[in-house]
Amino acid sequence: MNMIEVKGLKKSFGSLTVLDGVDFSVNKGDVVAVIGSSGSGKSTMLRCLIDLERASGGTIEIQGNPLVKDGVYVPEAQRKKAISKMGMVFQHFNLFPHMTVRQNLELAPKVVQKLDKEQIRRDSEEQLAKVGLSDKADEYPANLSGGQQQRVAIARALMMKPDILLFDEPTSALDPELTGGVLEAIRQLAEEHMTMMIVTHEMNFAKNVAHQVLFMDSGKILEQGPPQEIFENPKAARTKEFLSTISK
Amino acid sequence: MDFNYLWSVVRMILLEGVGKTLLLFAVVIVISIPLGFLVTLLSKCRVPPLRWIANAYIFIMRGTPLLLQLVFIFYGFPIIGNSLASAFHMEFFRDLFQLERMNAAFLGFSLNYAAYFAEIFRGGLLAIDKGQYEAAKVLGFSKPATTMRIIFPQMIRVALPSVANETITLIKDTSLLYAVAIQETINVAQSIVNRDSNILPLVVAAAVYLVLVFILTIFFKWLESKFNHDKPKKGRKKRLASPEQSL
Repeated sequence: MNMIEVKGLKKSFGSLTVLDGVDFSVNKGDVVAVIGSSGSGKSTMLRCLIDLERASGGTIEIQGNPLVKDGVYVPEAQRKKAISKMGMVFQHFNLFPHMTVRQNLELAPKVVQKLDKEQIRRDSEEQLAKVGLSDKADEYPANLSGGQQQRVAIARALMMKPDILLFDEPTSALDPELTGGVLEAIRQLAEEHMTMMIVTHEMNFAKNVAHQVLFMDSGKILEQGPPQEIFENPKAARTKEFLSTISK
Repeated sequence: MDFNYLWSVVRMILLEGVGKTLLLFAVVIVISIPLGFLVTLLSKCRVPPLRWIANAYIFIMRGTPLLLQLVFIFYGFPIIGNSLASAFHMEFFRDLFQLERMNAAFLGFSLNYAAYFAEIFRGGLLAIDKGQYEAAKVLGFSKPATTMRIIFPQMIRVALPSVANETITLIKDTSLLYAVAIQETINVAQSIVNRDSNILPLVVAAAVYLVLVFILTIFFKWLESKFNHDKPKKGRKKRLASPEQSL
């Protein structure tokens, strides 16, 4: 059973077609980097997977549970179940600004999963230590740098013990010198065999960490394969063009 | 300056006027803020007729003068009650629509201010980034939990300065009690002015309002600081992230 299975995914906003028949699957433990120029549909595709965006057609299955089948969405309870083992990290972190770092991590396990308080506290301390922010537990997000905020967001997503993590341009809103810590945290997750999809403009990171690279252009996956293949030996002319512009 | 006279004026205004002012203020705040919340929720509701009711309510309450609403409730309602009572041969309508002066004021002020608070809260909701709803959704929060735990606290923070403004307006609007012939601060002051041909009572009334508004201002400043997490806490310098620390 694949972790994510997508067939013929379509999405349009009015007359504008954003996704024009996307097919791919993600295996357990895979790290998939999604690259392509702005407006190619990368983020929309990712958002469809976790039900933040409504697909106009196609099929999405998460761990064997359908989210949408041939353009027809399953009832809400089933949708919730399908995405329940999936977490997401956003470009703009989306931490809750009125809560401390610790509260950001602990709220969902407390309210949604109704776990034991002491268990939650142990988990949150473990996750904060993992992203190197144990000393920031009682700070509010506004007092952290962008890179620190994004690491908190990763820790918050991990609190829900997801099987799959989605990253929507996790370093695009950061100053260049702050991206390192965030990428390091993702790399560490890759070593622990977390299944991940990462929409990114960090080509070196995609090259070094991803098992699979999807190159998207105009709402389609133009090329996919292992990073060596895509980066060293791209087949489509558009991929070559994109990679040469990026490396300049 | 005759301090004995000043003292007698202050005493009279405090004893006979300010009580009603404060009573009306307290009751209206306690009723209209929750009612405003409710109207905000209705105006955001997914059922169209409920939205229409909320919007019509806000339109009418904001679109007509409070003075007119008070007069209508106190003098107009009994007439409606009488008609209903004779139309349906049910006497209880007569009592239901015949409100005591102070109750009419409670009702009119609360309905009016709830409409303004509803709009303030709606504005507060608009200011919340849609990323907050998305983060809540991917973490599995239900809609009510998202509203109560994540959206409301942020909305209140955004709305607080406007709520403070509206509250200060309410303190001064209480003088409209004269419309239903209730003695309040200005009313009492004015009658002393007429009696003694001395404007000192008006100065005393002004001072009373200033003191009340001052207390409210301090209170809301304190409340805002409780809700404000954008700045580091007092006594702690914001640590500038050094590159290696923030990587």
